[in-house]
Amino acid sequence: MLAIELVIQGIVQGAIYALIALGLVLVYGLLRILHVAHAALYTLGAYIGVIIVNHGGHIIVATAVAMVAVGFVGVGVYRFAYKPLLDKPPLIALIASIGMFIAAEEIYRIIFGAYGMSFEQPPLQQQIELFKGFHLSTARISVVFLSILFIGVLGWLAASTRTGIAWRATVSDAGMAASFGVNIEKVRYINFFIGSALAALAGVMVALLNNLVEPTMGAVPAYKALAIIVLGGLGSVRGTLVASIALGIIESFGTIYLGHVMDRDAIAFTFLIIVLMIRPQGLLTRR
Amino acid sequence: MTKYFKSLLLAVVVALSLPFAAFADSIKIGFNAPLTGFAAADGNSALVGAELAVEQVNSAGGISGKQLELVIYDDQASPKESAPLAVKLITQDNVAAGISGSYSGATRAAATIYQENSVPYISAYAVHPDITRAGDYVFRTSFVGEVQGRAGAKLIGEMMGHKRVVMITLNNDFGKSLANGFKEKAADFGIEIVNEYEYSIKDREFGAIVSKAKSDEPDAIYASGYFFTAGPLVRQLRAAGIEVPVIGQEGYDSQKFIEIAGPDAEGVIITTSLDRDSADAVTQDFISGFEAKAGYPSDMVAASAHTAVLVMADALARAADDSAAALREAIAGANVMASTGQISFNALGEVQKDVQIQIVKDGNWRHYAVISDTELLAPPAE
Repeated sequence: MLAIELVIQGIVQGAIYALIALGLVLVYGLLRILHVAHAALYTLGAYIGVIIVNHGGHIIVATAVAMVAVGFVGVGVYRFAYKPLLDKPPLIALIASIGMFIAAEEIYRIIFGAYGMSFEQPPLQQQIELFKGFHLSTARISVVFLSILFIGVLGWLAASTRTGIAWRATVSDAGMAASFGVNIEKVRYINFFIGSALAALAGVMVALLNNLVEPTMGAVPAYKALAIIVLGGLGSVRGTLVASIALGIIESFGTIYLGHVMDRDAIAFTFLIIVLMIRPQGLLTRR
Repeated sequence: MTKYFKSLLLAVVVALSLPFAAFADSIKIGFNAPLTGFAAADGNSALVGAELAVEQVNSAGGISGKQLELVIYDDQASPKESAPLAVKLITQDNVAAGISGSYSGATRAAATIYQENSVPYISAYAVHPDITRAGDYVFRTSFVGEVQGRAGAKLIGEMMGHKRVVMITLNNDFGKSLANGFKEKAADFGIEIVNEYEYSIKDREFGAIVSKAKSDEPDAIYASGYFFTAGPLVRQLRAAGIEVPVIGQEGYDSQKFIEIAGPDAEGVIITTSLDRDSADAVTQDFISGFEAKAGYPSDMVAASAHTAVLVMADALARAADDSAAALREAIAGANVMASTGQISFNALGEVQKDVQIQIVKDGNWRHYAVISDTELLAPPAE
């Protein structure tokens, strides 16, 4: 029974990882930039969500506003930070990204305060008994449900719509896609919008689970999401999803049975090293 | 030419500044705290507490006519920052003494430098046992982790009468030293430690630990952490239907903990050094003064920094002369009533004072009990 509980806890955590890592892998796939500042957008989403709810907004409204607003911020990040650097070596964009991330943490601290923020009346805290003795809050269930919903919709968009096809074409060969009349810029804007909106969703969800939003809450996702997209085989969306859930579950068991030896991050990175030794191309990618 | 000019300029500046240094009408105290970065919340609270103490001392006439002045630097809770800052404070700012409003890593690094330069240094709330071992110029006005861990064992095993305990330990020096003290005395108070789980300071998500702790069916949970880890932890424990008492320590001691954990904070009990319901005037002045100055209720780190400044001010007033050695002597002989209780030091420079037990009641920290067992609370002496 405990094993099932640990798996479920792992899936909840994995779903959050998936939401964050997805934006990262979308950007990497398209621009070959490691978008570290993505985790700052996740934090921003969390702040917006908490502030709206504390001012009387419904959690659904708060989540939607956070997603849209952060989506546009993400587009802005591309337009004003990455776009001017596209013809420079990728290292430059990476450094810019790290710089933005650090700056964002301190900006949040100055604007929102060092103590972090909490919901005055946290929503979605009703307990649901999944099976005897195992309670899960509505927030936890929502995390998994919303992740499946949004990622599912995204998958459908990519597979079946014109925009999705244009997006996939741009990922595989931007020059060729452009010569077939695909508006590459538009694809990139949409890409940043969607990825950033998903990060904001993850931020609001984490705020619901922990009831604490801090300026530095993006620090762990910033590097863990990088590990996840490497695990998933850089650029593979499906691989990223599998890696997210796998990592969530492994951390869940790891904290209980290996917690005395190494902490959660050490467990995650050990797993990453082992996988890369056996499958250097990532979990799902074929050679 | 420029070389000579620079030397000349330097000589002029030094010559001009010497008389001012000698006849300065203020006494400078160095203060390092994390004002940015992950520990900024604690650092800023500590700073407000220290500034409040300085204002109180100065408005009461200062130290024999001289005003106290804090020289403040941000150490980001990092030894990389605190060590050069300590050098700067001692050699350039010419501080008479230093106070740490920072965490253990940063404080340890700075303590070594203060000791090497024979300048007195008081650690306000860092817990690592090695800090005072830097030498005889280093003091601490807060408990080492072990002492509070022992108090936690007495609280749970004897005063509350709970025997099956699950430990959830923060795997840094703070959590580990608390756990060591707790385990050292657990058996003496009839406590059986069912299981111990560790987490890192970055964790806010405890789903797995909560599930496992529930299956252990403990009578009580002894969980170390800071308000930003303990708040989410307590909330998640309660959300999973775990109703047993949660016992924490001074790391929880902030109104922010209650804000994060919400109604789930009710009934959480901690060992700490600030008694909100103290009848003592110094403590009450601190509590009301802090809230007026900071705009939010007082916490442990602020009280600790406030205490350290008051102890320093008291020693400056009693010191036989202006030398660092005399100041050190005066600190060592302290017997001061401060916001965190009656402060005196042992031979190592460790504080000897009562442990306050506080409980969350109606959304506020309130008095629950006090432990004054000097044998149990004896700090390390060497």
